[in-house]
Amino acid sequence: MEVEGWENSSGGTSDSEVYAQDTNDEENYLTSGDIPKLQFRKNISRGSWDDEVGMTEVVEKKGGMWTTTGIVRGNKMYCSIEETLFLAERGELSVLDVDDSSISLEDLYTKVAKATSGCCWESFEVYRHLRSLGYIVQRHGNPWTMKGTKNESASAVGIPQIKVITEQNCGGSCLINELLNNMRIEELRPAFDVFLPNSKFRKSSPGNPSFMLCVTSGHPPSKSQIEDLERQCNGIPLKFGHVEHGRVSFFSFNKVELPILP
Amino acid sequence: MGPRWKGKGSEAKALADPMSKIVSQLKSTLIQSDSHGLLSGCSILLEVETEEQTELLNRACFGRPIVTAQKDKQWFQLGMEEAFYLYYNLKCLKIVGEGKCTKTEDELWNYMKSKRETFPDFLKAYTHLRTRNWVVRSGSQYGVDFIAYRHHPALVHSEYAVLVLSEGQGNANGRLRVWSDFQCTLRLCGSVAKTLLVLRIDRNSVGEDSPSCLESYSVEERTITRWSPEQSREDKTIASSQLL
Repeated sequence: MEVEGWENSSGGTSDSEVYAQDTNDEENYLTSGDIPKLQFRKNISRGSWDDEVGMTEVVEKKGGMWTTTGIVRGNKMYCSIEETLFLAERGELSVLDVDDSSISLEDLYTKVAKATSGCCWESFEVYRHLRSLGYIVQRHGNPWTMKGTKNESASAVGIPQIKVITEQNCGGSCLINELLNNMRIEELRPAFDVFLPNSKFRKSSPGNPSFMLCVTSGHPPSKSQIEDLERQCNGIPLKFGHVEHGRVSFFSFNKVELPILP
Repeated sequence: MGPRWKGKGSEAKALADPMSKIVSQLKSTLIQSDSHGLLSGCSILLEVETEEQTELLNRACFGRPIVTAQKDKQWFQLGMEEAFYLYYNLKCLKIVGEGKCTKTEDELWNYMKSKRETFPDFLKAYTHLRTRNWVVRSGSQYGVDFIAYRHHPALVHSEYAVLVLSEGQGNANGRLRVWSDFQCTLRLCGSVAKTLLVLRIDRNSVGEDSPSCLESYSVEERTITRWSPEQSREDKTIASSQLL
């Protein structure tokens, strides 16, 4: 938006500000009939929930979304709790438990609420927001495939791996370790790798993500947290997703160097 | 968001008349006239004898003229950072207190710190921008600490809304504590087409005993922007190269 002539040139600036049109797209529904419903789908994929790895093993794939959803381990495909819930909400995936009983949306919401599968509600909201817009979103540190890596085994899937690593680091009981552990509580991790919408996307060669995303619902990040995250991102841009009252906002904190002017 | 020049020819005008040159002219004329500023509250009042000096102060954007009925002389009012920069960095201004006695460096430093706890950090930020030849003015109209211009405000719109944060000082400035502070500040910056620039001043445990401490402070520059996923679905670099 080009705004001209709002500032006096005499040096004494005027107070006039140009107010952007208030684009309040808040959904305000009066009756239940106003709330949109997603279309019922005939072709539904099926998966079975594996509580141990905290993921759904995809049993039957229908629809094109599987090119950008789920990770491949061995001959199997797994999708994370956020992918599972996203597809279940849209009626694209039906999830079964070990005993072949169907897992309801309520069960899935409960799982996310407990956050035991590596994704809390706020992270899910960020995930859903980006996925709905066509972005390709992957849990950070969870490679799409294990091709090219030596340790190709079905059990070595993402989150449990990460958990193990953290626990190992936290071992030992001396004071320094305790201090480190306390600091680690404050440590943030990128939650997602985000790729721009791309119809040619391939899990076997995803390329570098467009940016890495850190989700926060509490305090804004401190300087040291940002720097720590930037080290983890290895030169890939970093953004923060903040969720409040179900609304997601994204922020960039970019290091710059002001030019020395003539 | 790049620089927004005001009308045709402004950019060329700025290029032909670099700010560094204007400031160094101001410096020599102030030295020549042995200028003294009068300390008054949080301001420094400066009586200017020549039209040339008035013009240079205006062109370099130091202080603001005070409108008086006095015909032959012009008064200017300088802020603490502006005055201290002219006094300490450019060494072209002396500052006097009551009874016309010249303030020593220590007296001035302690006085300004007592007026504002964050003065050392604000001064560091001001100096940081001025030594890079950016024009720095008060940001109070936009609810920020400073605004920074690429050249004189008559030629270009200000590019940055600047907030100064004190690293490791318990955020003494009190800005950007919670997310709604970010949303609020960015909403305003967006509506006046400025980029939010946060200067984090790290004192590196040096303290604030004297103005020379500032040399050991470090400044981290970060722009903070909102990202809209609705408007960023296409890779702009790819899209624009396909157009060619």
